[in-house]
Amino acid sequence: MRRTSVVVVIALLALAAVAVPWSRTPAPRAQGVDVYINITGGGAKRLNIAVPEFTVIAGTDTAALGKLLASVAGQDLTFSGLFSVVAGTGSIPPNNPEALRQSWAEFAAAGAHAAVHGLVALRGDRLETEMRLYDLTSPEHRLIAAKKFEGPTAQPRRLAHKIADEVVLQFTGEPGVADTKLAYVQGPAGAKEIWISDYDGANPVAVTKNGSINLMPVWSPDGRSLAMTSFVQGYPDLYRLFPFERRPVQTLAAFVGINSSPAWSPDGRSLAVTLSKDGNPEIYVLTVATGTLRRLTRHAGIDTEPVWSPTGQQIAFVSDRNGQPHIYVMDLDGSNVRQVTSSGFHTQPRWSPKGETIVYTQREGTHDLWAVSPDGSNPRRLTTGPGDNEGAAWAPNGRHLAFQSNRLGRWQVFAMLLDGSPPTQISQGPAEHTSPSWSPRLP
Amino acid sequence: MGTRRFHIAVMSLLLLGVVAAGCAKRPATTSVAAPPPPVPAPAAPPATSAPAPSAPEPASSTPAAAPATPTPAPAPAATTVRPVPAEFAAIPELRDIQFDFDQYDIRPDAARTLDANAAWLKSNANHLLLIEGHCDERGTNEYNLALGERRAKSAMNYLVAQGVQAARITIISYGEERPLCSEHNDTCWQQNRRGHFLVKPR
Repeated sequence: MRRTSVVVVIALLALAAVAVPWSRTPAPRAQGVDVYINITGGGAKRLNIAVPEFTVIAGTDTAALGKLLASVAGQDLTFSGLFSVVAGTGSIPPNNPEALRQSWAEFAAAGAHAAVHGLVALRGDRLETEMRLYDLTSPEHRLIAAKKFEGPTAQPRRLAHKIADEVVLQFTGEPGVADTKLAYVQGPAGAKEIWISDYDGANPVAVTKNGSINLMPVWSPDGRSLAMTSFVQGYPDLYRLFPFERRPVQTLAAFVGINSSPAWSPDGRSLAVTLSKDGNPEIYVLTVATGTLRRLTRHAGIDTEPVWSPTGQQIAFVSDRNGQPHIYVMDLDGSNVRQVTSSGFHTQPRWSPKGETIVYTQREGTHDLWAVSPDGSNPRRLTTGPGDNEGAAWAPNGRHLAFQSNRLGRWQVFAMLLDGSPPTQISQGPAEHTSPSWSPRLP
Repeated sequence: MGTRRFHIAVMSLLLLGVVAAGCAKRPATTSVAAPPPPVPAPAAPPATSAPAPSAPEPASSTPAAAPATPTPAPAPAATTVRPVPAEFAAIPELRDIQFDFDQYDIRPDAARTLDANAAWLKSNANHLLLIEGHCDERGTNEYNLALGERRAKSAMNYLVAQGVQAARITIISYGEERPLCSEHNDTCWQQNRRGHFLVKPR
């Protein structure tokens, strides 16, 4: 039994890591993962990684997929906030260890700490890829891991995303989030449809086209369906649609009054929703399979925007019971209500996947994203303009937030890390893009 | 191969420590066939400016876009028949009321308007009433849907107190989704924070 322990701990702010709550929970270590980057919230140096054009080992690459795969995987690794991609040109010839050694030596001299060698075989409508991950800081360029992925030739970007997620897994113990989707609302007031795209904005597709007003898409925990509010039947009702399946849209709630703000329970069996059927907006839990409703709030004011804690034991929500809207937390039976934020105008609570943070929107003339611990401690600003920044959605790894911003004039979806680095624009084009929801990792 | 223990201190990176690793493994090549990628069934007709999605693998290419009549959930999802909003029309005799920012109480000027609206409704008892609650674009969409509901409800309560039959009245919130005015200024926002009244003959 031999031990290999290559531990690259990137933590310039080593003590800050203790203060960054989401680094407290150690990421699960996958079997065979030897290299470890301790993910800190901010200030961490990026690892320099080379991702040269993939080597074509079978078929004819008429569509330049070798170049595309490297480019997309490189963008994914840059987006992760963990890596800087070291530029290089050309692909490495197949079955040529000397050329490979030479190439890695050049990348190492250019500052690369690691390298991804991608292989691609084009077999008609199927694409086979293999990623080989090398440690360029070791004298003999040690192979860290290798893994094969295959899929339809028509979807090369998805294979690149899977490769990037595997690289992130190898370095951090938790897969990346490149193989995920975003759902969002597209269109101006009065004509909003639900669209989905890849996490990076590629492949946008409309999943409603009913000419009505469709709002607040939220991915179910299995990534197969979206809950949303739609006026398609005239009133704001709740529906569930299945964007990847031949399955009709399901009506979840169509009571008198508003039916809105759906939030999936972590097990996907229930939705916390806002209904006003009993007189004013109150929070209920709807069991999807049976349609059973359980009322959680009883208050004359507005209670809305429920979200679940990741344990499924608590619900955060917005209430104006003390005047302006603030964030509250209650137990799943509606008891033990605690006020989390005060003095301000606070809406859109979003509980982080690891449970230690609730992000919300604060209105002070314009809107910006803030974060607070669920016990109300440590409120802190995440964005400072320009424009309005609101409607946050956590990535499944709890490291990125998608949100909507009008900083460039019209509403677009952006994504950011929580370290203060500039956000990345995700949605493109002249339409308004709002209300993002980030899918779980796809199966 | 793979027999030694490396501590890699890279440039300015701070080497914190060594996390115990498991058994040494040769870099094993594992093969995982990616499951069929989820490809959205396109909405019909193909969305403008959206690249056509590639052929779905198991999913059919039949549109999954919301049909005109969604199917009900397993259990009854609604209990009451609601009138069709599109059948109601605004009339000059019923005037809008306006609200302060983030408020749903009836202002004195709105009360005077509602008194006049109530008088018309009482002398035209053959009309059903739909009250729309609206918000300006400030605030956030979900909250504004609840706020619009409260505004419509406030107007309804006032009219009922003036003797208009509650059974004649339906309310609907559009939140900030149907602004009257699309500019981004105080005048426009005030116009959008409104209760709007529409009728249809019984």
